[in-house]
Amino acid sequence: MSTSTFPVSPTTGEPISTMARRSRLGLWFFIVADVAGTIALVISYTYLWSLNVNGGWAPPGATLTASQTNTALPSTPPKATFAAEWPFWAIFLVVVIATALMWFGYRSARSGNHAGLMVGAGLSFLVTVAALVFQWIQISTFPFDAGDGGYASAVLLLCASNIFHLLLLLFLGMGIFMRARKGLIDKTNWYQAQLTSYYMTWVCVAFILGAILTTFLVVSPNTDPAIFGTFKQQ
Amino acid sequence: MSVDAAVETKTVFGSEVPQPPQHGAAGGVMRRLNFGTGLVCGIGLATIAGWVTAIITPSSASSDTFAPMEPTYVYLAVLLGWFIGFMLGMGAFVGPLRWVVGRDITHSDAEYMAGKDLGRKRYWKYTTDHKVVGIQYLIVAMLVLGFAGLLAMLIRTELGMTWTSLFTPSFYNSMIGTHGIAMIIGMIVIISGPLGNFIVPMMIGARDMAFPRLNALSLWLFVSAVPMLVSSMFMGGIQDGWSVYYPLSAQAPPGMLGYQLTIIVFAISTAVASVNLMTTILTMRAKGMTWSRTPIFVYGIFAASVMGLYAFPFFQYAQILGLSDRVFNTSFFDPLNGGSVWLYENLFWLLGHPEVYVILIPSMAVALELMPVFLRKPLFSFNFAVAGIVGVVALSGLVWAHHMYMTGWAPAANYPFMLSTELISIPVGFLVLVAIGTFWRGTAWTRLPLMAVYAVVFNKMIGGVTGVYLSDVPADQYFHGSMFVVAHFHYMLMGAGLFGAMAGIAFFFPKMTGRFLDERVGSIGLWTAFIGFQITFMSMFVAGLQGQPRRVLDFDDQFNLSNWISTIGAYVIGIGMLIFLSAIITSWRSGVLASSNPWGSKSLEWQTATPVPLENFPVLPVVTERPYDYGVPDPYEAELDSTDQDLTEKAGTK
Ligand code: HEM
Ligand SMILES: [Cu+2]
Repeated sequence: MSTSTFPVSPTTGEPISTMARRSRLGLWFFIVADVAGTIALVISYTYLWSLNVNGGWAPPGATLTASQTNTALPSTPPKATFAAEWPFWAIFLVVVIATALMWFGYRSARSGNHAGLMVGAGLSFLVTVAALVFQWIQISTFPFDAGDGGYASAVLLLCASNIFHLLLLLFLGMGIFMRARKGLIDKTNWYQAQLTSYYMTWVCVAFILGAILTTFLVVSPNTDPAIFGTFKQQ
Repeated sequence: MSVDAAVETKTVFGSEVPQPPQHGAAGGVMRRLNFGTGLVCGIGLATIAGWVTAIITPSSASSDTFAPMEPTYVYLAVLLGWFIGFMLGMGAFVGPLRWVVGRDITHSDAEYMAGKDLGRKRYWKYTTDHKVVGIQYLIVAMLVLGFAGLLAMLIRTELGMTWTSLFTPSFYNSMIGTHGIAMIIGMIVIISGPLGNFIVPMMIGARDMAFPRLNALSLWLFVSAVPMLVSSMFMGGIQDGWSVYYPLSAQAPPGMLGYQLTIIVFAISTAVASVNLMTTILTMRAKGMTWSRTPIFVYGIFAASVMGLYAFPFFQYAQILGLSDRVFNTSFFDPLNGGSVWLYENLFWLLGHPEVYVILIPSMAVALELMPVFLRKPLFSFNFAVAGIVGVVALSGLVWAHHMYMTGWAPAANYPFMLSTELISIPVGFLVLVAIGTFWRGTAWTRLPLMAVYAVVFNKMIGGVTGVYLSDVPADQYFHGSMFVVAHFHYMLMGAGLFGAMAGIAFFFPKMTGRFLDERVGSIGLWTAFIGFQITFMSMFVAGLQGQPRRVLDFDDQFNLSNWISTIGAYVIGIGMLIFLSAIITSWRSGVLASSNPWGSKSLEWQTATPVPLENFPVLPVVTERPYDYGVPDPYEAELDSTDQDLTEKAGTK
């Protein structure tokens, strides 16, 4: 029995195809949990956007037309405004590129093109680093602080979730690259590259969800919001 | 790969078998780590992190509302330091790091991690063998439940001493909140943890779980969360009930961070465990184990995993957002800044309700699993049982707002939620009907596990019926926030959930420990607890009907009598539980030895030796019949018999 015709796991001795099947299913289930968490964020964003409690959705300095503001509220000096929309899309695009590169690497591994795998996985890792840097720049240049209302909170948490996802991708990308270099990913054993590509594809979806929210649901539609007192300890 | 040249071989039954090439050397730091190193690293890193944070945080740091922030930052740093240090010291990061650098765990490492030849030491390590993880889960879950039970006794003592006060109101509140969430966490794992891990892989004829290392991960994540929860009691505590509604939660002292991080970590643990169980059940069932031949307990664990997997993230994110409000000054739940407390309540109950089924379904499944064994007849309508479980899962995500009828959130939505809640009683009812149908005309072999099932069925009916009252919007106007609700969910969580767990533990005890659970002491404990339980919670229904609000330590004199009775009942429960616990401890150490299949069960986990060998089965089993065909003639044997007869007849005529 030659190891290259019948690849087995070094740890358990089970056939790679068995490991692949199991891991693929496991990954789908993990994605379900991740999707649920992301949906929780989406719900939080849209919920606060639609309610505009105390007129507190928009950051205090956002330029709203008269019909969009609640005149009952004391006017605060302009301090902050909504975030620019394009960076969300730009970062999304960078993540898509990283994902495409990983897919390229994985397809290359399947067809036995080791150089392609190395290039794909390596570049994918580097592009992910770039995405992380862009994401960081975006967060640190937002025109508002965490305390500037519902929109600011929701956007910051979406970005935090993006960072979390990117860090995971860094870990996976690094692993795929290092393992490819050691020859552990090849024509007969490519499932880990495949699963990484799958996961990255879902991460793209998470990013585009964030971009859609921050582009299309910006000004709250609720111009007559409920007014409550604060509950924080004074 | 050009490793073919150096393929190692191993002699198995006299022939050379090639061994898979290894990606690195065996051994390493992993073999030195255990619970002790985990504690040392955890406490060490917690101390350092807290100390450094205390130095770098200006003591004048305060939040928007001038609340001092220093204790919050320091406590947060301590908790994170503990978590990372403990997982590091346990060796949780070894596998992932070796994966990244391409030095996969070798075969001999994997055997080491599975606890091969480690004796008792394996219970103190990051062990991957599902049987070890099952036992570890059992111990930790019992510790958590014991801690929460102790708090319950203190609560009832306070409520029973109507003439004086034992505790300050804020400490009383903190006991209520900690008791609640600790019980919920303990109950979520008490069946899926020990029995899901120990029994399910064997029940489906597998050698281990699909992802053994993730199995260890889920356990030790759970363990790491326990000190976080307990520590919060020393930081002002969880004073807002187990659901930590806002605004109370925002006003709470730093102890709230302990709650938030516990939930965040526990949610990861649950997700990991669910993924593992689901994958195991879907991909590793023995040859021939079709869905109609899969035991009902496996369905129950699968259903609980599905609900935990999709619902827990909502709770987890609710806590992440709350933590962000507290630490980073965002305003998800602060109305002044555009936040909404209803957002919290929705996210919370999006998990909160499915989670009650995460607790109930495994317990019902245990009951249905062991009834055929003790009644020696097939489960009454296996298909109905499966339909009940599927129905509960399908509807579990659609009923959450029955907890929010009285909060003022979307009054128009109350009626659809009332409808969906009453609808979900139907599949839940299926499960009770299947149980009753199985009892019907069974010849009961009344051993301890079956006695516990009687208790489960009784309690579950009371819990279910009172639930239907609560789901009625007009009735709930009166009941909401009263002791009636508390009695309702204790009938479910404790009466059905915990008694079901006791049934399961008693039933599987011989397989897990090789000894019988002492029937005499065990059943005295069980029935004492059962009687105490009825006293406590029946009179709590009365207090609720009279209008006593929950979560308050001082109340009007008219409620005194029912509270005295409840407290007496609670002590009876406490005594019963201690008796049951003593049965577990003494039987584990020196109980009557059990054979490998003492109950004469047909399912796979009983067909292998006790103590179960590391790989469970010498040869993987093949399943040829349905799981509960007790007393039903085996079609194959019947055929064989008739052919035998034919042959003899033929032989006779010749
Ligand atoms: C027939 C099935 C059930 C129905 C119709 C039902 C209905 C309800 C309703 C309407 C409430 C809200 C009461 C209020 O706060 O005013 C409630 C509370 C509760 N139920 Fe049930 N329930 C059912 C089964 C269960 C089960 C199986 C469990 C647990 C295993 C459970 C655990 C709880 C808990 C923990 C609460 C209280 C939560 C809190 O406010 O702290 N219920 N139930
Ligand atoms: Cu509910």
